[in-house]
Amino acid sequence: MALEFDILLQVLFWGLYAGCIYILLATGLNLIFGVMKIVNFAHGELLMLGAYITATVFALSGLNPYAIILLTMLVLGLVGIVIERLCFRPILGTGKLNEIFLSLGLIYVFQNGVALIWGDERQVLNSPYQTVTVPVGAIQLPLDYIIIIVVTVLILAGLSLLLRKTSLGKAIRATSQNRKGAMIVGINVERMDMISFGIGSALAAAAGTLWVVSGQVFNPYIGSIPAIKAFSIVILGGLGSIPGAIVGGLLYGIAENGAAYFLGGIWKDSISFLILIIVLIFRPTGLFGESGE
Amino acid sequence: MKHTTTVSILLVALVLAAVLLAGCAEQQAQPQDVKIGAVVSLTGAGSNVGKHMKQSAEMAVSEINAKGGVFVKAYNKKLPITLIVTDDETKPDSGVKAVTKLTSEDNVDVLVGGYSSGVTTATQGVVAEKKVPYVVTGASSPDITRRKDVDTSYFFHYCPTTAMYGEYTTLFTDQVIRPAINQKFNFTENRPLRLAILYQDSAYGKGVLSGVISAITTKNLNIQIVSNQSFKLGEVDFRTALTAIKAEKPDVIYPAAFPSEQTQIVVQARRDVNLNTIILAVETNDNPDYYKGIARFGEYSILESRFSPFTSPPSSVAAADAKFKADYMAKYGSFPDMMGVSTYEGVYVAAQAIENAGTLDKTAVRDALAQLRMPQFVEAIKDGFITFSPDYREVQFELFMTQLIWDEQAGECRPKIVWPDTVKETDFVLPDWYQPGTQ
Repeated sequence: MALEFDILLQVLFWGLYAGCIYILLATGLNLIFGVMKIVNFAHGELLMLGAYITATVFALSGLNPYAIILLTMLVLGLVGIVIERLCFRPILGTGKLNEIFLSLGLIYVFQNGVALIWGDERQVLNSPYQTVTVPVGAIQLPLDYIIIIVVTVLILAGLSLLLRKTSLGKAIRATSQNRKGAMIVGINVERMDMISFGIGSALAAAAGTLWVVSGQVFNPYIGSIPAIKAFSIVILGGLGSIPGAIVGGLLYGIAENGAAYFLGGIWKDSISFLILIIVLIFRPTGLFGESGE
Repeated sequence: MKHTTTVSILLVALVLAAVLLAGCAEQQAQPQDVKIGAVVSLTGAGSNVGKHMKQSAEMAVSEINAKGGVFVKAYNKKLPITLIVTDDETKPDSGVKAVTKLTSEDNVDVLVGGYSSGVTTATQGVVAEKKVPYVVTGASSPDITRRKDVDTSYFFHYCPTTAMYGEYTTLFTDQVIRPAINQKFNFTENRPLRLAILYQDSAYGKGVLSGVISAITTKNLNIQIVSNQSFKLGEVDFRTALTAIKAEKPDVIYPAAFPSEQTQIVVQARRDVNLNTIILAVETNDNPDYYKGIARFGEYSILESRFSPFTSPPSSVAAADAKFKADYMAKYGSFPDMMGVSTYEGVYVAAQAIENAGTLDKTAVRDALAQLRMPQFVEAIKDGFITFSPDYREVQFELFMTQLIWDEQAGECRPKIVWPDTVKETDFVLPDWYQPGTQ
């Protein structure tokens, strides 16, 4: 096994790229969990929907797929609001089992709905930059992946600004930290639920756009595995902790690709869960979680 | 006395009733159709192949039924075929459920299909217990008819094994690609060709790996395996594995992957990892979706085959090959694939075996399959006759190697046969961008 710096740099780069998809998915999931304390198992299906919307708009309009990301986020944000209002709000506080089975049901609704509309064959989108590479040292990095990393950073920076600098963001954080307290000070927590679900869904949509732009195949069933990883990242980083989701996502992306390089491809998934087990043994609340959450 | 008479009358009535019921049961037992169970992967990693296997099996059944069905001597009439298709989801546990349903609930007379070797291997215990003849048309691990831990005597391999095409592809690499590289880059004859293998971690992938190793060893080929990387079934991200392969400086890469995986391997190797090398592909990739998926990134790659949707070698079955493609296009509006044509033929093979057996008795049908000698009809078979070898019940297909060349009109790559010399359309080409592993 060669241990050349350039090769390791390239493996690290693939890890960063994989981490970006995980981060967007896990951050959205964590935002929803933080505010509503619900677990949406159909979160991966929002990524899948984002992928289909991106590919469809791209095929119809020929627009730059990176420009389509804003439209996809808007559409999925609205879809998220509808899901929250019609599905989760009526059962909020009625027990975890209801939430779990509702979201499991949504998985089938989305998968079958998409299969009905677009078919279930594997599809792929060819980015206009797919043949463009950027030299970094002795290696050539594809431009698409560099853009994906930059776009992810911009989205996270935007989310951070929203949560820290705006009154809406502060209200979301307050609801996340203490729902009753937020209600007492006059925050409309149900509105925060709706907005958080919308933002979380929009982040999954962004992950879906970046998924297809990177040339990954997509079909109605692609959401399940990334969603499982995102859940695992949420637990690793700490329930409700957005920095935890970011660090966890990066750690997973890099560890998976490192394991694939040093140990072989079949270790890719195992290493993620091994890290989760080790972290939970030493920090049962996750890397950034607080006890009692 | 009166009591004894009553009992006697009751006994006679009981016997009569039993005889009558037995007669009814015998009448009911006469089958109205021949049930063929098709085991295909309609979802999961093998779904784009499974779709063609299903459609091709349906086409064969529809053709046979249009001629009245299968003549079964025991009933002195032709019986129509009822095809029961089940989805194994390209998962071993789902495969077991699918085959259990077909053999226990549907009581099929014969099984046809089976794509993933890992899935088919997992179902073998059920088939062995139920003793249902199984014409395997996709799963290519030789273990399917050679393993010793279950009774494989009801399994008939109607596709080349990983050992067969693994050896064939390795010989092509040694006899065609290696000399071409040596000539272009002025390498000496004794420079070994640097081969990297990227294989699915399954009976199929491991079978290809051992087929290549065996060919190199037994034939003393000047090929060095510089890297072998495995990946799990259904993987979509091969960038790191390909980066690890690139670090070992290969001349040629041989992935053992399904079309959904191989497409990503080719695209990611050429687009993302800048592997300017020749990529080989196993015959299962001779599927229309593969040509579409690899786009221009697949240009100059190599595809081993025995039936291609876009070319056919000159042979006595060329007309049948063309007719099959035209009929398939007319029925489904798309090109067929290689595993599909095997399954199409597999249905005919099963029907012929039933006709030869003259009964639906499963052991008799198994024996008829073992003794089958049927003229080739769509795919070219060595010696021109479909016969299963007496030892491991395998058929010897005529294979060929194609190189994919970009076709502006189609907007996709199209195959050109480059080996063997007896059927080749053009010479193998090393593209300008090709870079050997080492100087």
